[in-house]
Amino acid sequence: MTNDMINIVVEVMPHFEGYVYPNEATQQPLWGVLIVLYPYITGLVAWAFIMASLVRVFNVKALEPVYRLSLLTAFAFLLCAPLPLLFHLGHPERCFEVMMTPHLTSPMAIFGFVYAWYLMAVLLLELWFDYRRDFVTWSESTPGFKGLLYRLFTVGVTDVSAPAVQLDHKIGHILSVVGIPSAFLLHGYVGFIFGSVKANPWWGNVLMPIIFIMSAMVSGIALCVFNYMVLTWIRRKTVDMKCLDVMGMYLFYALVVDTAIEALDWIHRIYSAEEGFRVIQYMAREKLFYTLSLGQVACGTLVPLILLGLLQLARRRVPELARRRMYFVGASLILMGVLAMRWNVVIGGQLFSKSLRGVMGYKMEFAGLEGWFMGAVLLCLPFVVLTVMVKLFLAEHDQK
Amino acid sequence: MKNHLSRRSVIGRLSAAVAGVLAVPVAKAAKAVTQKVLVTTDAPKDYDPIKHKWVMAIDANRCIGCGFCAEACKKENHVPEGPYFRTWVERYIITKPKPGSGAARGETLVDCPNGGITGYPEAPVPKEEIQHSFFVPKLCNLCQHSPCVQVCPVGATFDAPDGAVLIDPKYCIGCGFCIQACPYGCRFLSPVTKTAEKCTLCYHRITRGLKPACVEVCPTQARIFGDLTNAKPEDPILQFYQNNLVTALKPHLGTEPRLFYAGIDKEVR
Amino acid sequence: MRRLFTMPPQLFRILLLAIGIVVAYSVARYFLTPPSFGEYGWYRGAALMELATRDRVYAGKRACEECHYDEYEKLGKHEHKSLACESCHGPGEAHGKDPRKDNIEKSNFAVCLRCHEANPSRPKWHKQIVIKNHYTGSKCTECHAPHSPSDVP
Repeated sequence: MTNDMINIVVEVMPHFEGYVYPNEATQQPLWGVLIVLYPYITGLVAWAFIMASLVRVFNVKALEPVYRLSLLTAFAFLLCAPLPLLFHLGHPERCFEVMMTPHLTSPMAIFGFVYAWYLMAVLLLELWFDYRRDFVTWSESTPGFKGLLYRLFTVGVTDVSAPAVQLDHKIGHILSVVGIPSAFLLHGYVGFIFGSVKANPWWGNVLMPIIFIMSAMVSGIALCVFNYMVLTWIRRKTVDMKCLDVMGMYLFYALVVDTAIEALDWIHRIYSAEEGFRVIQYMAREKLFYTLSLGQVACGTLVPLILLGLLQLARRRVPELARRRMYFVGASLILMGVLAMRWNVVIGGQLFSKSLRGVMGYKMEFAGLEGWFMGAVLLCLPFVVLTVMVKLFLAEHDQK
Repeated sequence: MKNHLSRRSVIGRLSAAVAGVLAVPVAKAAKAVTQKVLVTTDAPKDYDPIKHKWVMAIDANRCIGCGFCAEACKKENHVPEGPYFRTWVERYIITKPKPGSGAARGETLVDCPNGGITGYPEAPVPKEEIQHSFFVPKLCNLCQHSPCVQVCPVGATFDAPDGAVLIDPKYCIGCGFCIQACPYGCRFLSPVTKTAEKCTLCYHRITRGLKPACVEVCPTQARIFGDLTNAKPEDPILQFYQNNLVTALKPHLGTEPRLFYAGIDKEVR
Repeated sequence: MRRLFTMPPQLFRILLLAIGIVVAYSVARYFLTPPSFGEYGWYRGAALMELATRDRVYAGKRACEECHYDEYEKLGKHEHKSLACESCHGPGEAHGKDPRKDNIEKSNFAVCLRCHEANPSRPKWHKQIVIKNHYTGSKCTECHAPHSPSDVP
């Protein structure tokens, strides 16, 4: 067999080159933008939480101003996380089956339990123990519906004496410690969903869960930076530069590790050049050019690396305004870059045939469940939820 | 102490005990009602899946690419129109190497227009340039370690005790994980039922003593079907295993397919 | 037991809530797991019989023998004996239940060509013709009898 991977095009079917299995010749890939969004959102959740836990567990005092915002971010995004999954199912009314008869050899079956554990045992409890004292105070001082809501959230416990509050802090600390491996599990299993598919050479490899966790790390920290800067701008407050600098430092080093591991994946693929390599190379070059080379690598990784790296090296010499702008641009680019990475993994894995002889194209529709519009709505929804929560739970005086 | 055993407390405890005992059948009845709403079946049970082991084999030397099998399957199983196939036939054309290139072979060209149902167009290379050409029918590989069954989150797809790999259309949630996990591309998401679908070895036929539709209509016996539990030595399936060296597709993935091919080339994926 | 009730109230309430959730989950699971689940493995055992009781579209060669014994006999003596009736005549279950002329195909030369048109991908032992060199009409049956193909006049 010669080096030509491109075989004959028999019927001029839309989007296909070479040979694809007849069942793969569908107009849309099976897993579309909805499945791109789910790992993105859970990644943001997991690492926004870990940002918060850095304060509690590792006593990084500089991050105190973003502590509650990170927790609320994690919570808002976690609430919205199951929506893309629900919409994508062929039979969403049967979704309860995952909890009733979970097939434990399937990574997807773990979703119900990991999600429930993370939502209830980690995030909600952490939030409750942190806010409990405030709920009690607010329920007494706020009138009307809001006051009723706060009273509901106290769950009837009104003890705010010093030992009770101390106990709250101790439990919060324990929950933060428990939350770190839980966050790894929440996003790690998603990476494993792809990493376990040996039928697909783009997905099925050992590094996939690690890459998912690392890129989630980067996106979560970037989201905290982004949210913090937007919130302080909206409230016309001043940004705590020490907090921002520390976040920027974590973001930079996380990005370095993430880039290293993704580069390792690529180097290994190119070097060992296994059977599927040729079709994958063609697919990545032709079909994923904009999202991979431009979106993920150039804009999403290299530019932020340079921006944040400069700030690490020459922080004192860069004036504050410029630093703020660079952090914001860096964080925004990273957020887009990680979304592009999720796209490249999920969609890219479906753009070539399992016969390893053909590639497909993908033109996203605008309307419909897997279209642009739905994707944009689901991406904005967590921010809407977060806004509501900030209004309810993040009083202005909480910030400097 | 006599005070504690007042009449009220005795009646109270006795009624609690009775309620506890009655709760069990009440709960069972409530469960039956709820589950009846979920799924019911009135099917008779005269077929024992434990007593059979169905298997299919393909003799590609005998396939003439007529496409009767793919067409019969579509009709028998009401497969939706469009790029949805429970079985299909691929054509492989291996060209001669370019003169002086020092290569053992030329390119491999593969096609499968409409699953092979409507025939194949003229070969894209002239007859003189073809070194080998043959047809390969494809279907569920009946894996012993099915990756599709492994990844189903709810237990809707399963290895039946009699060898078929089946999907429970009333339980499947349509997540598509099994379709991604199948290395052979034999599953699809039906746009009609919104559940996964695949070759069932015509389960509704083989459990009634008939052959699968594709085996029935094949004019050259390229598809061989049999029951390994009850096979006599002169059975076509045992004859096939006896007389042929066989290959399985993608053996490096460890799925251990039970579908064996005779007469295919190394280029077949 | 007394220790439990002297727990700080926030812990106690959370613990109660947790136990409540676990109990609710167990109850839900008891009611919502379908019957026959787990009978043969991690799936609904009843699914096997549901799949087995679907209607057929093709009847199978033996079903045709009942009424069309002569053709069946003739077919079995000649080269096309390995064919099923339904290969050329299409699905026969509906015709078998309600025998009429309009619910079974009579077959035509397009069907003959489907197997016998020459194609370099077809194995050499199979009888193939290049149609334009062989015949220019529209009915192969002018010369060939499909049920006894070697009876070429």
